[in-house]
Amino acid sequence: MLSLENVTKRFNGHTAVDRLSLVIEPGVVYGLVGPNGAGKTTTIRMTMGIIEPDEGTIRLFDEPFSERVKERIGYLPEERGLYRKMKVLEHLVFLGQIKGLSSKTAAERGLRWLDRVELGEWKDKPVEALSKGMQQKVQFISTILHDPRLVILDEPFSGLDPINTQMLKDVIMQMKDRGCTVILSTHLMDQVEKLCEKICLIDRGRSVLEGDLGDIKRRFGQNVVSLRIPGGRAVFEAYPGVERIGEYGRDLSLTLRGGVAPEQILRHALDRGPVERFEVGQMSLHDIFIAQVRREGGGADA
Amino acid sequence: MRKMLIVVRREYLDRVKKKSFLIGTILGPVLMALLLFMPALLFRFSPEMLTSVAVIDHSGAIYPHLERALPDTLPDGSAMFRLREEQVDGATLEQTRRRLAAEVENDALDGYIVIPADVVETGKVVFYGKRVGDIKTLERIESALSTIVIGMRLSERGIDYGEVRGLVRNVDLEAMQIKEGGEERKGGFDFVFMSTYLFIMLIYMTILMWGVAVQRSIIEEKNSRIIEVLLSSLRPGDLLFGKILGVCAVGLTQYAIWGLFGGLMVAYGLAMGGQVAAVAESLSLSTLAFFILYYLLGFLFYAAMFAGVGSVCNTDQEAQQMQQPIMFPLIFTIVIPMLIIQRPDGMFATVISLIPFFTPVVMFMRINVLMPPLWQVALSVAIMIAGIWAVGRLSAKVFRTGILMYGKKPDAREILRWLRRA
Repeated sequence: MLSLENVTKRFNGHTAVDRLSLVIEPGVVYGLVGPNGAGKTTTIRMTMGIIEPDEGTIRLFDEPFSERVKERIGYLPEERGLYRKMKVLEHLVFLGQIKGLSSKTAAERGLRWLDRVELGEWKDKPVEALSKGMQQKVQFISTILHDPRLVILDEPFSGLDPINTQMLKDVIMQMKDRGCTVILSTHLMDQVEKLCEKICLIDRGRSVLEGDLGDIKRRFGQNVVSLRIPGGRAVFEAYPGVERIGEYGRDLSLTLRGGVAPEQILRHALDRGPVERFEVGQMSLHDIFIAQVRREGGGADA
Repeated sequence: MRKMLIVVRREYLDRVKKKSFLIGTILGPVLMALLLFMPALLFRFSPEMLTSVAVIDHSGAIYPHLERALPDTLPDGSAMFRLREEQVDGATLEQTRRRLAAEVENDALDGYIVIPADVVETGKVVFYGKRVGDIKTLERIESALSTIVIGMRLSERGIDYGEVRGLVRNVDLEAMQIKEGGEERKGGFDFVFMSTYLFIMLIYMTILMWGVAVQRSIIEEKNSRIIEVLLSSLRPGDLLFGKILGVCAVGLTQYAIWGLFGGLMVAYGLAMGGQVAAVAESLSLSTLAFFILYYLLGFLFYAAMFAGVGSVCNTDQEAQQMQQPIMFPLIFTIVIPMLIIQRPDGMFATVISLIPFFTPVVMFMRINVLMPPLWQVALSVAIMIAGIWAVGRLSAKVFRTGILMYGKKPDAREILRWLRRA
């Protein structure tokens, strides 16, 4: 579906994307994850042909980039923007047309979508009359109006309330069911964990970790223990087998050093008092990211 | 191509539906009418009113003739000048003048004239009044005094003035312009200049207005961040030229509406006769055709440059600085018409009319004043098209790179680098 090979982009001496390679297969929901400024948006812009890479090759749909390829992609940029004075439906028709739809098809589909997101009554209102959340919905409709095979969503959840967030997730899953490939670029790791099958962790323009989310979690999952003890973090502060202690409310999350078994932790805890809860858990993507970045010798905060 | 047309259509409809377009389009002809008819109207209604003048005549010889030398009448048939001789008598000149000045001050008098005793030799007379800007009235008085003084000088040498007057009467030169086919019409500098100047101002103003409109719309699009959505569907060039052509179509629509008004005004002008008719007559279909042609060429040329400026700027204020290099030649074209109109076939006019920055205004002007050789007209069109192509390409390169740059404004060196690289 999409493959990047050693793609590099520099801006005025600053390397935004550094020899990035990744392969995205058709029909998956793929997460492009990393902190702000990691190079996600630049990567997407290069994929869309908006800017050109300095080095490396990008292939979409297994063919070289052409203008017509754009018609098979839906792109929701991080920087949202619509013509403020244009009427909602007119605007959707315009954006549909430049994706190659006829004005009739675009209008039909636009209306159907507006009804579905409960904006049917707003179709003849100027965009600027809509609330920010409503404008987001309109923008999202414009992204998928032409029934693209590949949808790229850059920070799609920013500014959405919980109800709309859920609706967006539903739509994403429906698109996946219909065989559409979705690329989700975000710094919100928990959303990625819930939606994506495959991910690429990006930090400072480089791919830190790539692959199947389940595999990654399994790989990192064994050495995390979540437990609740009255003694709190003081119990493990001096324990050599623990690499890192995270606190989540009353729970502790311990990242274990290699070769340390969870049972040892349990024994250590029991020696010092009662244990209210104990779970050999999987590391959250957030923790994996931080661990991985540390391992690579960086100091970036996620 | 199809996508570019969609952009053109959107840009066009968006603008034509705006209130500002409606207002501009309606105000335009009103301004045009004012420009066209104001001089004529002013001339018609210029107030000729009763003018009271006191005369202190030290020579004692002028005043008796003055009344006869100022026979002008007001529209109702009464005399325009009311004269009164002021005797200095026992008082000093200074006292008399102060008294008269007071009368002028309270509007009992429009002014007074002091004629020295040696006026026949020196020919110097002074008028004191409030409205010394009323050139027409002053000219009348001056010419009356001149007639009397010249007559006196002649009689001193024993020549009868009445006889001489017939011999020294001025020639009245009426200018007739020869048009194609040997047809003659009342032309003269004023009429040719007026109609040409009107069109030049129109070309200049509309190029500026719509060129800046392109620039602003690109800046707006950058700021509304819709540009990224558009670029994910369109080629940058399709977007750039779609916008330019859309605005271009809006300009032409405005002209079509104005043309309708203009047609009505020409009809009215012809009916009105006189000077107004002469201005109206000096318009011809070929003038209009050349006008539209050069407007289009000029607009496309300048709009491409304005678009380039718009794509590297984030605010209108920034753009105002960056557009200086474009504004300069544009303004220059309306500063030089006087040079061109005197020697429309001169070296200067020929050369400058073939430089794309100046061609639209200058070549149009030359065609209007004195038709240049056809090859020059054809060459100017070819040069313009080449110019538009070149500027459009450069602009598209700058557009492509600049359009996604927010924040920092690039300097000239950086823009040059984009041009070289893209």
